[in-house]
Amino acid sequence: MEEIEIKRQLFHILIGVIALLILVFIGKGTLMAFSFFTLIIGLLLVNLTFLGKKILLVEFFRKHFERKNIPFPGWGSACYATGVLLITSFLTNQNAIAASIIILGIGDGVSTLIGRNGRIPLPYNRKKTLEGSFAFFLSSLLGYSFVGPLIIPAAFLAAISESLDLPIDDNLFVPIITTAFFMVV
Amino acid sequence: MDAISNFAYSINSELLTKVSLLLDNHIVFVLVIMALVLIKESRNAKRLKIFAALLLAFFFATCIKILTGVERPCASLDIPNCPSSSSFPSLHATLAFVVMISFLNKRSYWMFVLFALFVSLTRLVLAMHSFRDIAAALPIALITYNIVDVLWRSFTWKRLK
Repeated sequence: MEEIEIKRQLFHILIGVIALLILVFIGKGTLMAFSFFTLIIGLLLVNLTFLGKKILLVEFFRKHFERKNIPFPGWGSACYATGVLLITSFLTNQNAIAASIIILGIGDGVSTLIGRNGRIPLPYNRKKTLEGSFAFFLSSLLGYSFVGPLIIPAAFLAAISESLDLPIDDNLFVPIITTAFFMVV
Repeated sequence: MDAISNFAYSINSELLTKVSLLLDNHIVFVLVIMALVLIKESRNAKRLKIFAALLLAFFFATCIKILTGVERPCASLDIPNCPSSSSFPSLHATLAFVVMISFLNKRSYWMFVLFALFVSLTRLVLAMHSFRDIAAALPIALITYNIVDVLWRSFTWKRLK
C-alpha cells in the first residue's frame, strides 16, 4: 500500500478519536461548533488555494494526506468535517453520536488499511475487498460500549454502504446512512 | 438554548433586528439570493446549476423539517408571531450556504461566507432557530451541491460524447 494512503488512514482514525474525546469530555455542543467553524475556515483556505495562494497548512495536508484525482485540494478533509458536522447536528443522543463517529472515524479508516491488502474482491464492486468490508464491520463494533446491540445493524448497514461504488464520497455517504439509522431507531 | 444561540439572541441592536425581520420575509430573501447569483455569476449554465442546487436543497431541508418537527426557540420563549413550522434545519441558512459553496473557487467567496454567516446570525437574533439548526444547514448545503455537481458533470459529459 502507498505510504501516503497509510498516513491518510492513520490520520483519519486519529481525527475520529479526537472527535470522540471532545464529545465525551467536553460535550456534543462543543464538537458541533468546533466542526462547524473548522469547516467554514477550512473552506476559506481551500478558496485561497483556488486563487493560487500557497497556504502552508493546505500544502502540508495535500502533500501528506490527500488522494489524487479529487475535485479540489482539501476535499477529503472537507468531506470528513462535513460528516462529523452532519452526525453532531442531526443526532441528539450523545451515545448515538459517539457510535456514528466510531463508524466514520475508526471503521472507515481500518477498512481501507486492511482492505487494500485484501484478496477477495466484492462481486458488486471490484475496487473493494471482502476483507476490507469485514474489517469495517468488526472495528465499528467498538461502538457497542455506547449503543449496545444496536451497533450490529448500524455497523452492517455502514459497511454495506461503504462498499458500494457510488459517485459520492464515503466520508459523506457513511454518515448519512448511520445518521438516518440512529434517527429512525 | 445553547451558548451561541443565547449570545446572538441577547444582541440588542435595533438595526440588526430590522434587517433580520426584512430577511425573514421569504419573498425578500429569495429575491436577495436570486440577485446575488445573477449579479455575481455571468455564465448561464452555472446559474442554472446553482438554482438546481438551491431547489434540491430546499426540497431536502423541507422534508427533514416535516420529518423532525422540532419546536422553534421563539415558541419556548413565548415571542409573539412565532411560526408554528418546524425549526430544524434552517431553510434560510441552507440556501445561503448553497450559494456560498457555489462560489468556492471565486475571488468573491469570502463575501458569500460573510453573507451566509450574517443570514445565520439574523435567524439566531430573532430566535427563529438555534445554533443546531444553522449547523445542520451547512452539511445539507454541501451534500446537495455535491450531488448536483456529480449529476451535472455526468449529464454534460454524456452530451459531449
